[in-house]
Amino acid sequence: MICVSPGKVGRAFIHFPFSIFHFSFLFFRLSFIAPGGLFFSCDLVDRFIIQQKRRSTKSHERNKTAGALFLFFRALLLHFQVEFAQLKWKLKMTNGKWKMFCLLAVLFYHKPASAQQVLRWGADPSGGAPYVYTDPVNPDRYIGYEKEMVDALAAAMGRKAEFVPSDWETLVSALQRGSFDVIVNGLEPTTDRARQIDFSNPYYIFQLQLTVRHDDDRIHSLADCHHRTVGTLSNTAASRILQQEGIPLRGYSDPVGAYKDLELKRIDAVVMDVPAEAFYARNNPKLKPAGEPFAPGPYVIGLRKGDAVLKAEINTGIEKIIADGTLEQILKKWNLWNNAQVELQAPIRAGQHAQVAPYEMTSASFNWREALSRLTRAAMVTVLIAFGSMIIAIALAIPLAIGQSRGPRWVRALCTTYIEFFRGTPVLVQLLFLYFGLPAIGLAMPGWLTALVGLGLNYAAYESQVYRAALEAIPRGQWEAAYSLGMNPVLAFRRIIMPQAFRIALPPMTNDFVSLFKDTSVAFAISVWELATAYRELANASGQFLLLGVTVSLFYLAMSLPMAHLARRLERSLQNRDVAPDAVAEGAVA
Amino acid sequence: MIQVSTLRKKAGGTEILKGISFEVAPRTVLGIIGASGSGKTTLLRCLNGLERINGGFIQCEDLRLEPQFTESDYRHRVKQLRRKVGTVFQHLHLFPHLTVLGNIIEAPVHVLRAPRAKAEQEAYQLLESVGLKQAARRYPESLSGGEQQRVAIARALAMHPTLLLFDEPTSALDPKRAAEMRLLLRGFVAGGQTMVIVSHSIGFLTGLADNLLYLEGGEVVEYGETQALLTSPRDPRTASFLQQAK
Repeated sequence: MICVSPGKVGRAFIHFPFSIFHFSFLFFRLSFIAPGGLFFSCDLVDRFIIQQKRRSTKSHERNKTAGALFLFFRALLLHFQVEFAQLKWKLKMTNGKWKMFCLLAVLFYHKPASAQQVLRWGADPSGGAPYVYTDPVNPDRYIGYEKEMVDALAAAMGRKAEFVPSDWETLVSALQRGSFDVIVNGLEPTTDRARQIDFSNPYYIFQLQLTVRHDDDRIHSLADCHHRTVGTLSNTAASRILQQEGIPLRGYSDPVGAYKDLELKRIDAVVMDVPAEAFYARNNPKLKPAGEPFAPGPYVIGLRKGDAVLKAEINTGIEKIIADGTLEQILKKWNLWNNAQVELQAPIRAGQHAQVAPYEMTSASFNWREALSRLTRAAMVTVLIAFGSMIIAIALAIPLAIGQSRGPRWVRALCTTYIEFFRGTPVLVQLLFLYFGLPAIGLAMPGWLTALVGLGLNYAAYESQVYRAALEAIPRGQWEAAYSLGMNPVLAFRRIIMPQAFRIALPPMTNDFVSLFKDTSVAFAISVWELATAYRELANASGQFLLLGVTVSLFYLAMSLPMAHLARRLERSLQNRDVAPDAVAEGAVA
Repeated sequence: MIQVSTLRKKAGGTEILKGISFEVAPRTVLGIIGASGSGKTTLLRCLNGLERINGGFIQCEDLRLEPQFTESDYRHRVKQLRRKVGTVFQHLHLFPHLTVLGNIIEAPVHVLRAPRAKAEQEAYQLLESVGLKQAARRYPESLSGGEQQRVAIARALAMHPTLLLFDEPTSALDPKRAAEMRLLLRGFVAGGQTMVIVSHSIGFLTGLADNLLYLEGGEVVEYGETQALLTSPRDPRTASFLQQAK
């Protein structure tokens, strides 16, 4: 393609985002091959633009310029097609030769070396202030001191920063998978992480801050927290310190949830890095800091193992933005500048190279024995939630089913509304609502109870439909026979209808129960320590995704297989009733 | 025993029963005959309260059922009526999840609150009288149609009804089994059981029913003593029905 593209147009293209650049070339390729591609390619551009308009993309630039691009592409294509026609004429090619030429051009076409390399960096923007988070004023944009720092860093490296929103817990594995080039998310160097990834030199020195409720005068430091539950981000230096100290901890995926639970008295204290604490808790009148900041540690940039070139580039970049005062400016702007930063930056500014790992790395205590005991505890929570919510579901589904099929009009409408609401909205949303929404009206349940009730309410909607179908499958004659024997409706239902309906409902119920077992995993969203949460946290801390994954699967199977087996046996015993065993003997005697 | 007077039943705007009157004396059998759609089954369903009546009254011993009663009073009386009236449905409606014995003792134990041992003892007696003692522990679906019917009879009789309603007893029986069934029912009548039997088989009712009632289009065409009605029907419609039935 380069050989035929006129230079001026190539330059014009460089100013456009890469994706659009790429797309435009795709259309060129098509217009080469398609006979009479003049209109064909224009048509494609039109379709592409329309699709882009329909799709809601995150990239605001694309949305804003879609209309302008529409006209631009058409004009550009027409221009190119005229030029290609001229080229064909100049080369004096026959149609066949021209087609061959085009085909070769497509085969040998390769992306022109980008004038600016990108630096793809991953971080978790949800509850990620002040590191990187969604701009509340302009939700299409991400802001934060690390966002600004990476932009400056990339500029110092002669690159263009590209942010890849990701999930805190899986940052390391996403980096290894190649979803982005570096992690910049207030990452602390730890011994277990060091086994999986490489670190850059430090760019910031953080400290930890303990936060309690404003009326709490029992807790003044971590030492007061033994036998109390302390919340923190999972898989951080803070969580590792708590683990080392043997303090019961609850892991969260973002600071908002942790501070919210502290307010609601679900936990007793929160330990968080000072930047996050300053942003989320310092100005909350219901909370107060307990004691002074402690346990300083460095933030570093995470790199794939062996990515030495990039590592050197990054380290030089960090030195550069420290030396020229850019980082200081950014940190001052975000109110994060303090003596620790002066200490970190002073030698570099004095022209020395950064010290490597000047701080002791915290480490996670991971061993299989402890992992198994934690998984067992998690499995018990899973069992508790599964059985508890199934009981709620059954207890609620029976009146729902009866109400919906035999109740008066208003009862029917009420039941249908309930069922459609709980079936029609995601269970995750329902759980989050119960966990964070209900406390607004003074109903703050602990996480496991929220999961138990939430899943119970949700599954009641599904179960009710199973029961309704089963009830409606029982012939009317059974009711009439029961009535004519003098039974009242309740007795008839309990003794005659329900046992028969149960037989019909049992297989789908077993199905639902097994699926409920697995659905308990959504409880991780509200920080319940059940199996899926345990897997995520243990695997993220240790990197043992494969082995732990197999172990957790075995745990799930060990729980659901006996259930399925029991259900099958029950089913068989309900159905094998052609001849009861003693009837044969009695019949033989008679 | 049971007295029915100008009984009316409407369903969906059409009148299915148009003023039915008859009386059944204790220890007698009334046979109700008529073509399909004449209202026989509806009449039976009125007698055990499965259908709400729209006119006239039903008097069963000291219990009276009239349409003008309030809903709750009516329901309460229907409940009492069902204690006095047992029903054997045409399609039996045995409880498939219970054994033969379970089918029979279910209502005595849970409605009459009889002790289980006593109910079982009585059930065995009833099963013996219908010739099914050996099938007590079996499930209904493993029995033949005739056997199932006898279980249904035993189930109804276990409640000691003053009146037994019987819908189409011969519909699923071959002639030999029908003869056996007639013999069985005669035994119960001899034992003092009052019955109303709906059937389109005149042969089955001959020698079993004391009185016959011929129903056509929801009206009583003729009602009288069995022999008299069969040999010398007063109404030409009865005569033509009997002619066809032969």
